[in-house]
Amino acid sequence: MSDRILKDKGLVMRHSLVELVEHWAIALSGLLLLVTGIFELPIASRYYITSVPGLAWSGDFIKSLYIHYAASVVFIAAAVFHLLYHGILGERGMIPRAGDLKASIEVIKSFFGKGEEPPFPKYLPEQRLAYAGMAFIIAMLILSGLVKTYKNIYAPDMSLTLVLWATWVHNVFFVLFIMAFIAHIGALILKPNRPMVRGIFTGAVGLDYARRRHPLWLKELEPVGEDVRRQDIEAEPSLLDVSDEVATADFMGEGTPIPDMSDKAAVTQDSVEKSPPVVSADVVEEAPATQKPH
Amino acid sequence: MNDEKRGGFNRRSFLKAATGVAVASVGLALPEKALSAGREGNLATLIDLSLCDGCPGKESPACVAVCKTLNQGRIPKINESIPVPWPRKTIEDWSKKQDVFDRLTPYNFIYVHRADIDEGGRKRTLFVPRRCMHCDNPACATICPFAANHKYNNGAVVIDQELCFGGAKCRTVCPWEIPQRQSGVGIYLHLLPSLAGNGVMYKCDLCNDRLKEGRLPVCIEACPRQAMLIGDRREIYALAEARADAMKGYLYGKTENGGTSTLYVSPVSFAVLNGTMKKQPGRPDMGTAERRMAGTDGMGKAVLQAPIYGIAAGVAGAFVALSRRKKRVKGGDNGHE
Repeated sequence: MSDRILKDKGLVMRHSLVELVEHWAIALSGLLLLVTGIFELPIASRYYITSVPGLAWSGDFIKSLYIHYAASVVFIAAAVFHLLYHGILGERGMIPRAGDLKASIEVIKSFFGKGEEPPFPKYLPEQRLAYAGMAFIIAMLILSGLVKTYKNIYAPDMSLTLVLWATWVHNVFFVLFIMAFIAHIGALILKPNRPMVRGIFTGAVGLDYARRRHPLWLKELEPVGEDVRRQDIEAEPSLLDVSDEVATADFMGEGTPIPDMSDKAAVTQDSVEKSPPVVSADVVEEAPATQKPH
Repeated sequence: MNDEKRGGFNRRSFLKAATGVAVASVGLALPEKALSAGREGNLATLIDLSLCDGCPGKESPACVAVCKTLNQGRIPKINESIPVPWPRKTIEDWSKKQDVFDRLTPYNFIYVHRADIDEGGRKRTLFVPRRCMHCDNPACATICPFAANHKYNNGAVVIDQELCFGGAKCRTVCPWEIPQRQSGVGIYLHLLPSLAGNGVMYKCDLCNDRLKEGRLPVCIEACPRQAMLIGDRREIYALAEARADAMKGYLYGKTENGGTSTLYVSPVSFAVLNGTMKKQPGRPDMGTAERRMAGTDGMGKAVLQAPIYGIAAGVAGAFVALSRRKKRVKGGDNGHE
């Protein structure tokens, strides 16, 4: 995890280069798999897709299969890499936690103006759930796809039961993959999520956005070792220049205990801003003294 | 042909002589229609064009007639109004032409091509029964999006008419375009008939149900000239080679489309025979029939190796990241001290 705050740029690094490469490898190869997978159905000629300039190949099942295979090499390698790389490094921020389902419903309600969002760690609860769902869909597509590929090359006469399972798992999860893809894009259209879009292109999101929405994540980033803490403390005055709101959120991240996610009243942004003893600039300046014993 | 050998040769003794050498030595003989007891295991068929005479005097060749009779009633009665597919409005309806027997149709899985050949002034006529070749690696089956078409380990390639949507993908990828469509029947009628699917594909299934019962395919059983044989694949291959050698003839189906379980033996080259054929719907030619799927096998093997690439990259990447992290922590400690 290379997440860090770039104070002078007003950004937080949310995704490392490795993660960006993983995401786009999966996304672009997945999109190609989706399209060539559709062209494996005998529809291109029937729906005159073959007449579209540049898509004459869409009616050639063997060409589509070749592209489908080529995209799968990237897709499978990236997915397996993802599991091992982050598994070994112990980066598990996207694995669903207890209570995510309930929290997701609250968050989705808040998108439509019902209630307030709680403060989030790096990932939203529904992002974690969506991740698990997408990971399961991808795993099933890969497993069934590998069986189908093996059959195509080495064993056209493998057990019909196995072929039927692999085929229909592949087909059903293909439909789920399309739905998950649409939902994924749909989530980015929602206004509160839009600031995250730049993150998946550049790796960084706005610091003010992160403070407002992901204070629990920033809390993890700020006070790490004592050295870091000292640096942070030294940087404190310039931080105060940014804005009151920023300083508030920052202070909350550093000095207050982790808000209880289940206690919605306590964790809304409003309630934090309205608690006077915590938010005054004086308290911030005193903070170093109180933290020295660490 | 050696009639003496033919007379003294029965199935049992052939079974005992089922080694390659033995087959070669008796290869000219006309064994019974089934070599070995086997209608199980890996089977192959042999079609000997030096023997087929097209059944002169009969209304239709015996193999064609008996196949038609057997498969009569296989296709349910067609609804008067077949749904018109959208947007391309192709409908293939053979229900009113069920009697056609001079080409492949959903109601006719085998037909006999008449090849009039002029060999440097010497005219001769050969008859070529045509049906599904039951390929070793049939793209029609492996590429079916619903696994409605499957190759069984006896070698028979069979379409499940209950599961087929009639998209005709199998026909497109078959070098001989064997499967034939009947619109207006099948599972697609229960879904979105005007938007998806267009009937059911039909073709020879090598009488797989009969094979399971230990019986011969009807075409082989009915052939009065024993021009067609079925048996253990190795035996049939050896016999076909031996016969081709003996007549200084030619083989078709051994390498075509990556190998098939149907071997034609002919005294006339298949290039010449192919010259008498014009590929058109329901009438396959005898061209070189390259296996196009072979072009994807290399990439497919890379797909099967992809998990290994991912594991290697993931472990290596994590190792690098961990050692960097360690260095950073160490560096931090030193700085602190």
